[in-house]
Amino acid sequence: MKNILLLASIALLLGSCSDTNKNTDKKPDATSVVQAQTALPEASIFNITDTFTNQHKVPLQLTSLRGKPAVVGMIFSHCGYACPRLTADMKIIHDKLGPKAKEVNFLLVSFDVARDTPARLEAYAKETELTPDWILLHGNEQAVRTLSVLLNVQYEKDADGNFSHSNTISVLDKDGVLAYQKEGLEADHTETIGTIEKMIP
Amino acid sequence: MKFLTTILLFFLCLPALAYPSSSENAGKKMVVVPGGNYYSFLVTNSNKPIPVAAFLMDETAVTNAEFLEFVKANPSWQRSKVNRLFADANYLKQWAGDLDLGKDRQKLGNTPVVNVSWFAAEAYAKWKGKRLPTVAEWELAGAGTPDKLKKNMSLTDYILDWYNRPNAQQLPATKTTYRNEYGLYDMHGLIWEWTFNFNSFISKGDSRATTEDEKKLFCAAGAMSVKDRKNYAAFLRFSYRGSLKGSYCIANLGFRCAKSIK
Amino acid sequence: MKKTILTLLLAGTMATMFTACRTNTDTSSGAMSNIDTTTTGTVNAELTDAPNVPKPLTYTSPKRVMVTLEVIEKVMRIADSTEYTFWTFGGSVPGKFIRVRQGDMVDFTLKNMPDSKLPHNIDLHAVTGPGGGATVTNVAPGYDARFQFRALNPGLYIYHCATGPVGMHIANGMYGLIYVEPQHNPLPKVDHEFYLMQGDFYTKGKFEAKGLQEFDMDKAIDEKADYVLFNGRVNALTGPNSLKVKQGETVRLFVGNGGPNLVSSFHVIGEIFNTVRVEGGDLVNHNVQTTLIPAGGATVIDMKMEVPGHYHIVDHSIFRAFNKGAIAQIKVEGKNDPNVFMNLKKK
Repeated sequence: MKNILLLASIALLLGSCSDTNKNTDKKPDATSVVQAQTALPEASIFNITDTFTNQHKVPLQLTSLRGKPAVVGMIFSHCGYACPRLTADMKIIHDKLGPKAKEVNFLLVSFDVARDTPARLEAYAKETELTPDWILLHGNEQAVRTLSVLLNVQYEKDADGNFSHSNTISVLDKDGVLAYQKEGLEADHTETIGTIEKMIP
Repeated sequence: MKFLTTILLFFLCLPALAYPSSSENAGKKMVVVPGGNYYSFLVTNSNKPIPVAAFLMDETAVTNAEFLEFVKANPSWQRSKVNRLFADANYLKQWAGDLDLGKDRQKLGNTPVVNVSWFAAEAYAKWKGKRLPTVAEWELAGAGTPDKLKKNMSLTDYILDWYNRPNAQQLPATKTTYRNEYGLYDMHGLIWEWTFNFNSFISKGDSRATTEDEKKLFCAAGAMSVKDRKNYAAFLRFSYRGSLKGSYCIANLGFRCAKSIK
Repeated sequence: MKKTILTLLLAGTMATMFTACRTNTDTSSGAMSNIDTTTTGTVNAELTDAPNVPKPLTYTSPKRVMVTLEVIEKVMRIADSTEYTFWTFGGSVPGKFIRVRQGDMVDFTLKNMPDSKLPHNIDLHAVTGPGGGATVTNVAPGYDARFQFRALNPGLYIYHCATGPVGMHIANGMYGLIYVEPQHNPLPKVDHEFYLMQGDFYTKGKFEAKGLQEFDMDKAIDEKADYVLFNGRVNALTGPNSLKVKQGETVRLFVGNGGPNLVSSFHVIGEIFNTVRVEGGDLVNHNVQTTLIPAGGATVIDMKMEVPGHYHIVDHSIFRAFNKGAIAQIKVEGKNDPNVFMNLKKK
């Protein structure tokens, strides 16, 4: 049993670290599927291979989002103040893009590994009146932390199970490379939208 | 308090069980750090402490020799192959090559591995079937009473003394500073250590300021007082963590692993 | 965590208030609308160690000015037989003197050396912007940060490290001066310009106790300084290290007070300040004996050295001068002018 676990963790690890274009090992492993396309750029956040689950309970890896720019926010659904506003900010960006919003992935990733199940995220999407094209992600603690480190988002869980966190909207290009970040709530979105518009045909 | 005592009593019995060395990694001894309540260094009376369950922790920081085994087994983490997103140009720069510790390999082998990124430390821990300790776990472990310190210094003085000195020219080996009551070596005085949630401290780089949205977020929370103004040692650690990014590789920053007790 | 934020917030709010005040008051010389900000060309700033001051600037239109400061933690002598671990901007205390011109765009890089134990940042009081630059310059050992700011307001400003715990970083010597020359009415020419900075130090051992002395947090909190120094060392500017000028010459002192705690009663024994640019700003006072320099503040003093001899620069909170090191010297050489001063005692 222990050996199986070990093997599994090595496989996982190889998955997470045989990152793409620099990988000279030809061993077939989890990443070869990913690499069927052209290799991701080194700076792509899609290089992380953790599996998330969306609000429809469908597992997905970030790399499956490749091909469209992404607007990413990190939130928790029980948040009383900041997260609904961050979500509203992202909705403004979504609305201002008009029909072009179809060419962009809008992602909300939850800090709250314990409470924000896919079902809860689906409810949150309903509460905040998000259109069906939004992707709300649940992940394990490690996956969410890893994403936060890559996006320079700070968060900490307090004793009540709520989170202190920074508020950042990140824009990734279609290959998952971080292109632009805006800190703070109710900020001016002109530059954010400008950055996105340049990425879509 | 009764709860705490129960936990303590429970884990005092634990070393008799099958622990110390954890499974895969026979070479690295892990010790039990009793659970407890973690108070952030800047808390008020009304702020609740974070409860921390007892956990296992490597008795020393991961050494260069140990990390070499990791990169041998995981070529994508070798210096020339690593993705720069996960480890910047300083990664393992104390080594002579991908799998070569250089002419001081004997000496270097026993010193803590530094110039490793958070992602690399995470990957190592995962490879070992372990994980990085959380800030709360690390701080609780680091608060353990030393067996003996030079000049009979208090732990706080010892820590501040170390923080106050520039890096040593040559990093000393592990187990050269002190051992604490849990059997952990060098929690202070040798290197800084990565924690799982090092990015939990919401700092914008300026320790005096915070952003407008945070003000909006927290202004209703009432009056505050600093728990212990003189706890500058913890403050320095938070500042240090606040200056980090996951890909950073720094000459005085290494790590040790932790593991939950199932 | 919430409380951390709150604590930080309180300080943050205060910082914001200070910034707000600063911008609101500049109606006369500093207002953005009155200054030329059309920037052409790039220059590297001349940076000097105390007591030297960069030469007055010769360009007359705004430039992009490149400034790089290195944060170096190093053991140096604080007294003849006493060592101390200083944290420095550029390898000495005080840090490098920076001289720019109002309207310049300062392109600022802060490098934290790889050997540093700690992260550091910089708050330049000459900056109009969050944290005076501190919010964007917190750098881990081996890393650097870069930002730009428009030098809107003329005057003499302190810079210092603002990484937590701020008091400790300042107490270890992390401060220096930046002078922003005004676009109009620059300072009159003088024969000598010198750079002095006062700072208080807190050590485990008493004043001049031998060996490497550690920073003492308790004394710092109690504001019980063991050392009050000009330019970071006992006798940094006395005896052979005195500032030397000739009789009849004019001297300008750019003086800052890094603190962290003490306010300086700045005085030169045997001289009267002809001109004091109060608090480093536009207000000019004449014929001043002692001028206050707050911690985190600065002043510009002009005086003419009419009579030869040794002149002692002191903090006139006088035990600091004679018991804690707050003393420096100007040696004026030349022929005496009996028309001004003469000893009448018979031999």
